[in-house]
Amino acid sequence: MGKLAGKKLLILGERDGVPGLAIEACLKDSGAEVIFSVSECFV
Amino acid sequence: MSSVGIKGYSYCLNHTPELGLHYGSTPFVEREAKGESDFLKSLPRYIQTYEQAAGYAPNQAYIGGIDYEAFEGAKTPWIENYLTNAQRYGRYGEIMPEDEFLGLMAICDVFDLIWLEKSFADEVKTKLSKDPVMNESIVARLKGVHELAEIETEVKDKKGRPLYYGGKIVGCVRNGHEIDDCLFAYVLMENLACKAGGVLALLHLLKNSGTKPEEIDFVIECSEEGAGDMNQRAGGNFAKAVAEIAGCVNASGCDIRGFCAGPVNALISGASQVAAGARKNCVVLAGGAVPKLYMNSRDHVKKGLPALEDCLGNFAVLLVPDDGTNPVIRLDALGKHSVGAGAAPQAVASALIYEPLSAQNLSFGDVDKYAAELQIPEITLPAGAGDVPHANIKMTAALAVMKKALEKSEMDGFIKKHGVIGFAHTQGHIPSGVPFIGVACDHIKAGTMKRVMIIGKGSLFLARLTNLADGASFLIEPSGGASDASKAGASRPGTPAAVSKEDVKSMILEALSEIVGKLS
Repeated sequence: MGKLAGKKLLILGERDGVPGLAIEACLKDSGAEVIFSVSECFV
Repeated sequence: MSSVGIKGYSYCLNHTPELGLHYGSTPFVEREAKGESDFLKSLPRYIQTYEQAAGYAPNQAYIGGIDYEAFEGAKTPWIENYLTNAQRYGRYGEIMPEDEFLGLMAICDVFDLIWLEKSFADEVKTKLSKDPVMNESIVARLKGVHELAEIETEVKDKKGRPLYYGGKIVGCVRNGHEIDDCLFAYVLMENLACKAGGVLALLHLLKNSGTKPEEIDFVIECSEEGAGDMNQRAGGNFAKAVAEIAGCVNASGCDIRGFCAGPVNALISGASQVAAGARKNCVVLAGGAVPKLYMNSRDHVKKGLPALEDCLGNFAVLLVPDDGTNPVIRLDALGKHSVGAGAAPQAVASALIYEPLSAQNLSFGDVDKYAAELQIPEITLPAGAGDVPHANIKMTAALAVMKKALEKSEMDGFIKKHGVIGFAHTQGHIPSGVPFIGVACDHIKAGTMKRVMIIGKGSLFLARLTNLADGASFLIEPSGGASDASKAGASRPGTPAAVSKEDVKSMILEALSEIVGKLS
């Protein structure tokens, strides 16, 4: 548990950067609640 | 057979700024939502002329107007250093001006959907006749010629979409159905532009490879468009429609989709069919995507930069059985981003790059160039999307460090040596590795490269069917393998070198002599 515990998260990922799913995986044990997660593509 | 020859390739651009101004999704949505906003009023001031687009170094690299090495050495920023004496035609294809492209769209229309104004159509017909890949029977398909008043009525009263050239209406795309939105004029325009781009690429491919249209056996189309009606929304089939216009009477075809991973998957599929003997040969091709024109123009305008996304991209590749004369796609070293591979960048790079290499006992340094996502950085950087090809090769170098194939201090050198600078428009499926096939094959034929990896990645999540992305990769090598280590394990310590029949014979004879010696 870190400083994100109890927070609500909006995750915006990018395919050739870091995808939303990967960010979600990193934050799995942070104690935060992911309320929206998406990957986008700008190319 | 685990390798398939690449006999020919073509790359074309269609310079279509006015299609972009009106039907690129960013300007189109802005106009629908806000009317003529400040952004839309500003955008025309930032578009490039045909001469500027032709002199833009990445565009010349794409059509083979300059060698890749000349492109690497071209002065940057390219937008401030247009090439002088740039030509319309390169050794891979051409940059077709917009008026002729509208004519080509009309040529590709077999349902009386595109109407062109009479004098415009006459001029365009004359110009198209001079294109070295056109012939009389193709140009004769340009019909649907009407008076301007009829075209205006079609736009005003019947939901047609106007076509512009020089700021004036010169034609329209008629609405295909009152209710079925798959057949609305916008969708039909998008599909016909994609078809026309595919036709142009196919015609150049036939010329470049010295192939007659009737020799083509099968065509796979791999764009990102969807042709169909409300009962079969993307039923297809662009491939056969393209083959028909190009006169490939003995060909059939089908479409393969996978967002930006479509072309690499289509090439693997086409190569597999040729390798199995199911097809005598196979063309893999795609036209461009109108909605992606000026996709990032809001950021370009905001920063006072030219709006560079003014070209549709097209390509075509001819696959034939490996007869020892052409560079080949290896089918025994394919990269696949499986469902369970994970979404983290290193997991994707591992699945697409490390796994196929290690399965063949190859290391990162055994590949001369990694071609993944070749978007022009001058388009993506101002839009905040980064330098995509650079990000990809950086990830490859980082993976090589993780796998202990490279020292961290060697990363910069690896990136410079094995990366590719982006020279493809942000046309989704077009930049996905495939623009480098031509360069790779030219170098392999010249003996200046021995192995290139082509990598495509697709954003499947955009369709809201899955959160997953996809990717695929393959290697291109000389026929018979690269001299150093193309055969599995041939150059790896601890693995036996390849042996010939004669070697085996002499080893057996040696062993038999030994046995005889012991018996006597």
